[in-house]
Amino acid sequence: MTWNKQTLIKMLMTAVSGAAVLSASLPARAAEPITLHALMEDVPETKIIEALLPEFEKQTGIKVEFEKIGYPDMHDKLVSQLTASQSYYNVLEVDFLWAGEFPAAGWLADLKPFVEKSKYDLTPFIPSTLDLLGRTKDQLFLVPMYNYSMGLLYRTDLIGDEKLKAAYKTATGKELALPTTLEDYVAISKFMKANAGVAGAAMQGQRGDPNSMEFSNYLFSAGGSYLNADGKASLDTAEAKKALDLYVDNIQHGAQQGAVSATLDDTMRLMCSGSAFSMVTYWWMLPQMDDAAKCPTVAGKVGLSVMPGGHGESGGWGWGIPKNTSPEEQDAAWTFIQWVQSKDVSVKRALEGHAPVRSDVYDDAAVLAKYPFYKTAGDVVSTGKSFPIFTYSAQYEDLLGTQLSLAAGGQATSEAALKAASDGLQGLLDK
Amino acid sequence: MHNAIKKGLAARGREWRTGWAFALPGLLLLAIVMGFPLAYACILSISSMTLIKPQLLPLVGFKNFASMIGDSLFWNALWLTVRYSAVTVVGEFVIGLGIALMLNRTVRMKPVYFAVLTIPMAMSPISVALIWRMLLQPNLGIANHLMETFGLPRLDWLGTPGMALWTMAAIDIWQQMSFVVLILAAGLAALPRDPYEAAEVDGARGWQQFVYITLPMLRPVAAITIIIQLINEFRTYDLPYVLTKGGPGNATEVLSFFAYRRAFLGLSLNEGAAAAFVLLLIVLLLTVIFFAVLERSQSGEGRK
Repeated sequence: MTWNKQTLIKMLMTAVSGAAVLSASLPARAAEPITLHALMEDVPETKIIEALLPEFEKQTGIKVEFEKIGYPDMHDKLVSQLTASQSYYNVLEVDFLWAGEFPAAGWLADLKPFVEKSKYDLTPFIPSTLDLLGRTKDQLFLVPMYNYSMGLLYRTDLIGDEKLKAAYKTATGKELALPTTLEDYVAISKFMKANAGVAGAAMQGQRGDPNSMEFSNYLFSAGGSYLNADGKASLDTAEAKKALDLYVDNIQHGAQQGAVSATLDDTMRLMCSGSAFSMVTYWWMLPQMDDAAKCPTVAGKVGLSVMPGGHGESGGWGWGIPKNTSPEEQDAAWTFIQWVQSKDVSVKRALEGHAPVRSDVYDDAAVLAKYPFYKTAGDVVSTGKSFPIFTYSAQYEDLLGTQLSLAAGGQATSEAALKAASDGLQGLLDK
Repeated sequence: MHNAIKKGLAARGREWRTGWAFALPGLLLLAIVMGFPLAYACILSISSMTLIKPQLLPLVGFKNFASMIGDSLFWNALWLTVRYSAVTVVGEFVIGLGIALMLNRTVRMKPVYFAVLTIPMAMSPISVALIWRMLLQPNLGIANHLMETFGLPRLDWLGTPGMALWTMAAIDIWQQMSFVVLILAAGLAALPRDPYEAAEVDGARGWQQFVYITLPMLRPVAAITIIIQLINEFRTYDLPYVLTKGGPGNATEVLSFFAYRRAFLGLSLNEGAAAAFVLLLIVLLLTVIFFAVLERSQSGEGRK
């Protein structure tokens, strides 16, 4: 065979026409079904949504997979994906503490165009839940998912116990009743530890998110704040000192052994096992404690109130879409966000214990019939105050947590810890 | 004669080229998987790269190192790392040597003991930390339950500032000791019998044989084991991450955890890289010592 130019052209033409015939005879390739991957905190709220996912898949054909992990590992895992060329997670659950950092780093897609294109109605969302997540007039990076305002869970059987009431009256001259001030709460906590055979408070004192969130309740209830009216750090105040002194007093004399290293999981287990009188925690923990199958010892014996002193820590999670995903994935993610935050799905979630971000869910008759305490929950949400939200919120949480941990362990005075925490906050605000 | 030299040079050239041809793929692979990350980390440590402003330029020289060295937390972390490494390595070596000596005797079911000993080593440090965290949970953990059963007070193993680091060290010793046992047991098994027989004839007692024969002859293996473990301990990250998050206060914030906090919580990849680079220099120094000890022990053996 001679390999001349003509033979080569003939062979090329045959190959090209063959390929064309072959491709025409094949059916058009179906569009790849999109699977949404989300990294989720391993809490009841996630499980509530997870149970409804088959419904979404049936409606839209979009599959959603949740990867559930503990809160402390979430930030790092998300950051490593968001800084990659393409993120594995194509729909995001974002804590309000990262609501300054993630948009500042340019990792989140602006959802405003999605809202406008789909004519999505944001008016039912409680305004503070949108503000908490950094909503501005021009941009919207996160749609509220659920709130985690904190209140006081307490044992109604212990506070109503006649023997304990008499003992408390003898010891303090006061009636044993639901505390209305921070001082009263710490006093009752210490009394319960000494007299009721339980820890007065299940406290989450591990350095970082656990103790920072917990302390914020004490700070707000004592009348303190992280920032003053001028937006400057204001932790070295008399109110903050009172809050920290009471926090240290409670963790050392009212809380369970090991409170300085305890996490949210530890406190939940303790309260659930009936070994604690109270815990300052997220209000939506109440349905978990009231579940006779999960917590038979305390089910029906736990009440919820606004943080003694009047203000608790208020936080929330939002849904976001990473920039480093394809337009198809972003559209699918937006479809999911609209569905999961719709009134119908929010009510279904609320009936399972969801902490709503839509006002119309708090007013829903079916929800109130099943959970009368949602009225108190509404008060907890409306009186809540927020941790400072800025680019370095996560770092500040770690910095504050370290100082609180030093004070709780007796390694620093409350004055020194608060000065370091205040200076650190100002330093990060100025960065 | 001239041709012979030419042929010789040509042969040497061929040998040189063949050598490089064989070595090059491996060297290239090493350059990619080790050299590139190392060079990148080096550049990162002198750059202005943060997660918020992800750009290397402008380079800031040693500013990141200076900022780290000026931070008292860095020195605290370094001092903790030194103490932690010293305690864990000594603990692992002393207990490991004791077990290795016991296993060196003719005992029944020796393979079973070795198999059991390798279990902690085969477990990932994260799993080990999670298991121990449950065991040491102050209220519901089994450790305090046992303490109470024996009439001892309950302890806050990981929440007491003075105790947390040593609890972590004990867990580390538990996991890493099996590696030390295996290496030392192999070293002991390889020791010649003659000196012991001569010592027995001379009437030397057991402890005298241990001090004057076993320890000196085991020195090269022991030195290598200690250096390997020292390097391992300096890099400890998993245990404080899972057990304490560096707390209570700063009681367990070792150097690698300090670097992690700088990089990921402080969003300062450059400062985190600088801290990691200091850690790398320490580990490199230990590695140089390791090879020096290895070479000296080998040349010592050669002279015998």
